Amino acid sequence: MLEQRTIISSGNEAAAHAIIDIGYDGEGYYPITPSSEVGEYVNRAHAQGEIDLSFVVGTSELAAISTVAGMAIAGGRAVDVTSSQGLLLKAEELPALAGLGLPVVLNLATRDINAPLNIKNGHSDLAATLGWGWLTFLAPTVQAVYDLNIIALKIAEAVNLPALIAYDGFHTSHANRRIKVFEDRQVVRNFVGPEPPPRLSILDVRHPHTFGPYMNDDLINTKVLLDQKMDQALRLLPKIFDDYARMSGRRYGFLDVYGDADAEAALLVLNSAAEAAKVAVDRLRREGKRVKVVSPTVLRPWPSDTLLQALFTADRIMVAERVSQYGAGNYLANEIGAVLQRSGNNNLILSRTYGIGGLNFYPEDADYLFRLALNFPNVPDHEKRWKGYYQAWAGEKDYQPQPVATALTKEETTRNDGKEKIDLKELAEMPHRIAKHASCPGCSTFANLDMFLRGIDGHVVLFFNTGCGMVVTTGYPSTSFRVPYFHNLFHNASSTATGVMEMYRRFRRQGKLNDEITFIVVTGDGGDDIGMDQVIGAALRNDPIIVLEYDNKGYMNTGGQLCYTGLLGQRFTNANVGPHQRGKPQHHKDIVEILRGTHAPYLFQAGVANYRDLIAKARKAQKMVREGNFVFGRFFSPCPLNWGADPKVGFRIVDKAVKSCLFPLYEVEHGKTKLNYNPERAGLKIPVKELFTSMGSAFAHLAGEQFADVAAEIQKEVDRRWKRLVEMDANPAL
Amino acid sequence: MPDYALPYQDDLGFTNILMSGLGGDGANMAAKLLFKIAVEKLNLDGGYDAKYGSEKTGTPTDVSIRLCPLGTPVRESGPTRRPHMLSVFRDKLIASQGLNRGLQASTTVMVNTSRSPAEIRELLKLHSGRILTLDATRIALETKSRMNMPMLAILCAQLGFPAEVVKAAIAAQWPRAQAANLAAFDQAVGQATSATFEPDAAYPLVEPTTITSPIGFANMLNGGAIDALTHLNIPAPDAEPLGRVPVFTLELCSHCGLCLVPCPEPGAIVWNDKKMVAINPVYCKGCMQCVEICPTTKRGKALVEPELAVV
Ligand SMILES: Cc1ncc(C[n+]2csc(CCOP(=O)(O)OP(=O)(O)O)c2C)c(N)n1
Ligand code: SF4
Ligand code: SF4
Ligand code: SF4
Repeated sequence: MLEQRTIISSGNEAAAHAIIDIGYDGEGYYPITPSSEVGEYVNRAHAQGEIDLSFVVGTSELAAISTVAGMAIAGGRAVDVTSSQGLLLKAEELPALAGLGLPVVLNLATRDINAPLNIKNGHSDLAATLGWGWLTFLAPTVQAVYDLNIIALKIAEAVNLPALIAYDGFHTSHANRRIKVFEDRQVVRNFVGPEPPPRLSILDVRHPHTFGPYMNDDLINTKVLLDQKMDQALRLLPKIFDDYARMSGRRYGFLDVYGDADAEAALLVLNSAAEAAKVAVDRLRREGKRVKVVSPTVLRPWPSDTLLQALFTADRIMVAERVSQYGAGNYLANEIGAVLQRSGNNNLILSRTYGIGGLNFYPEDADYLFRLALNFPNVPDHEKRWKGYYQAWAGEKDYQPQPVATALTKEETTRNDGKEKIDLKELAEMPHRIAKHASCPGCSTFANLDMFLRGIDGHVVLFFNTGCGMVVTTGYPSTSFRVPYFHNLFHNASSTATGVMEMYRRFRRQGKLNDEITFIVVTGDGGDDIGMDQVIGAALRNDPIIVLEYDNKGYMNTGGQLCYTGLLGQRFTNANVGPHQRGKPQHHKDIVEILRGTHAPYLFQAGVANYRDLIAKARKAQKMVREGNFVFGRFFSPCPLNWGADPKVGFRIVDKAVKSCLFPLYEVEHGKTKLNYNPERAGLKIPVKELFTSMGSAFAHLAGEQFADVAAEIQKEVDRRWKRLVEMDANPAL
Repeated sequence: MPDYALPYQDDLGFTNILMSGLGGDGANMAAKLLFKIAVEKLNLDGGYDAKYGSEKTGTPTDVSIRLCPLGTPVRESGPTRRPHMLSVFRDKLIASQGLNRGLQASTTVMVNTSRSPAEIRELLKLHSGRILTLDATRIALETKSRMNMPMLAILCAQLGFPAEVVKAAIAAQWPRAQAANLAAFDQAVGQATSATFEPDAAYPLVEPTTITSPIGFANMLNGGAIDALTHLNIPAPDAEPLGRVPVFTLELCSHCGLCLVPCPEPGAIVWNDKKMVAINPVYCKGCMQCVEICPTTKRGKALVEPELAVV
């Protein structure tokens, strides 16, 4: 056994630790809870110079995994992490990686795929991948996350298939445990091999290959190969497990079986739940019951023979899954039924779905499921079924919630019509379309929105992208929206609004709808990274909707990761500051200028520190959409939590951002640029450095001596962009 | 390695601890350090499980710590259902988070509060055990430390962790804040008030939570939609204030409306008949931007920061 040391680690940290020990060439990254931290830890090590890898933050999960594909086709070792919707967004690329035979590794901190949105556990993401040709490992403990990452790469490169390691979101990703890691990284590197086994590379210009060709009827042969590679993995894995056991003292196999060899009832569960079930097994055995828990460590290739050995003697098998195949037998229950049936067995198989979302699985729960299996069919009536849900509830029969609010009328909410003047006293009386919410104290998101909405008359329908704004306004069964609202995942709001607006126009034409409605999309700046194409699409189609971006220079809801809007040098949880990395490597994105190329009728920037300007833009925005035009507006929006800024000074930061010309107040109306405020002309322009000191710990270092060169570069870039705007303001033709 | 025995053991050998606080209170950090001490200095095993990790400031959160002798299999994850020890960073969480559920007989409860142990017992409806109260917020302010420091100190003391071991770990973890943290540590241990409550039938033991609600699959609207008119988020008028609320003096107010501009909380600044009339403490989160923007006139300033108060 080789020398190891004890560390305290979460599941996410363990994945990162393995990635660091392996010494990957590259990581593609896009944050999503609960897996985001993996990339953060890796990036921290990179910034500290402990490892040297290409760390690429994509515009989306699909971009991240496509970058990984590029790294792999160049012959590099590449890794990625994700969860849930993130996995779905990668979905186009994942079967392709298998088909192309690229041995990359993906860590999946499982999370249910859903709407309404929930960020907690569920195996529907894992289940979705089962037919995609990926070697699939399950890590039930924090220790296993580390170990299986190493094992997975070894087998992936041996058979040229991609490998996925799934561990339970929160239950394992956020569980902190004592684990063992190798003292010397070299040991890990020797185990996986200092270099990947030789394979074809696109960088081999001396012997060119064409990768990813169009293929005709030969395609079926690639499928044969996928199955053959899986079979090969089945043959090779026992030796890899042995070698790893010799090196680490920890033995993995296809299955983890715990309990009586001749159990009468077996419970088949995956990952963390299997650990809890072991406690139930101990307790039941003390009562004299013969039970065992069976938990696969390898799901693809499907270890049929080993499973058959473990299960055929158990008369009663409960297959409990954190996922459901609605309207059909469940994923594993079906596969296990098939294994048993092929060998002539007819054990009783019961199937239950459990532990979705925030629901936990404790030993008591395993105990319940074991007893259900042992006693079936002598169980309560509602349990007399082969498939069902455990832990769901029906609700109270006579629950009759009382109205607490009335719908806003057009009259109540018409405060701007025909008015030139902007009078705060009058606007103060505009009823709130958004009620109490759960943002951090001093969050600018709602200061901006609330003020903007005071400038909008009549009925409003709101669409939010996923992000802080969305997360703090609904929590079933409570809502902060007094007007109709739709959250349709992270990056889809503008296209969704287009769909609604199309029906609105149609129903109005048909005389089915008389209400006049203004459609407003609210998104974070991250939503306009991942959803950039959809915003551009709405602008290009000139759909009469208002899209509002609150630019807080980061992915704040997921813990402060890099957004392209961030400043050069800005500190992020995944763009750390250290001897080998100086925060974000590029200048800030300018979404309004990107949209300028769509020639959309009305684009603007505004901030709450200049409320008159903001209200005037709200009024103009409504006028524009009423005339059938697309509108995009962007707010500068300090985030006290992730900027590490004093909530008290939020609006002062906005003011400084404007005065430094980092965030000019301007609008582009039918192609004509107008500066609404020129700090230079007013003699009030300040250096950007003055801004950094008040913006909080994500920026403060930029005002320091060590970052003087970065600050100078930002200043230069800000000045360059500002000059361009001044010219455009002066020349309507520009 | 000092001789050490855990104060409680369930049938699997664990002492189960629940910490309940708000995002930003530092409960996760405290749990992390506690577990580090347990593993590295006392040769224990177990784990700690955070609820999330990137909560919004002010959102209720909890972290569970399980401690056991090394060699005990650690198999459960997620929040502990049956805490032996409960650490409450804000006393208002006792009711809102239903913190008495699953508490074992003879629990040790530690609460940051200005209330007495007897008052906390009533609030918590505690079956039996020892309640320690301390004003961790004030200690943190006075020592320029953070609230999690006194709370960690008192928990370690109740666990019987040797003080010098804990203090050395704190000093090593945050070398620059060493003096402040250690001062907070000493004050906490010195200033906590405690009382022990026998099982006197005043309150029964309460079973752990089973998750349920009045709306389930039989009466949920299609697609999980919410009826805004019955479920709009309107807090009860007597709900607990959320934070430090600015002091408003009506006589000094010119009703200019500027305070509305930076305020992120709809409903916090109450406006009536073209006049600013009050700050609603149930909506206000205490960011103090309104204080910053409120103009100072010859007569004074209508909005000012409150005295530092324990919430
Ligand atoms: C497809 C997909 N990828 C990732 C996520 C995770 N996610 C949710 S919100 C968010 C960040 C949002 O950032 P931004 O739009 O800037 O809004 P903010 O959180 O700053 O309010 C991310 C990465 C997701 N929900 N769906
Ligand atoms: S994390 Fe930042 S953006 Fe999100 S609610 Fe808190 S302050 Fe607002
Ligand atoms: S800013 Fe001050 S003076 Fe103006 S309305 Fe608000 S409280 Fe009154
Ligand atoms: S302290 Fe902040 S939340 Fe409270 S009223 Fe003032 S601006 Fe609004």
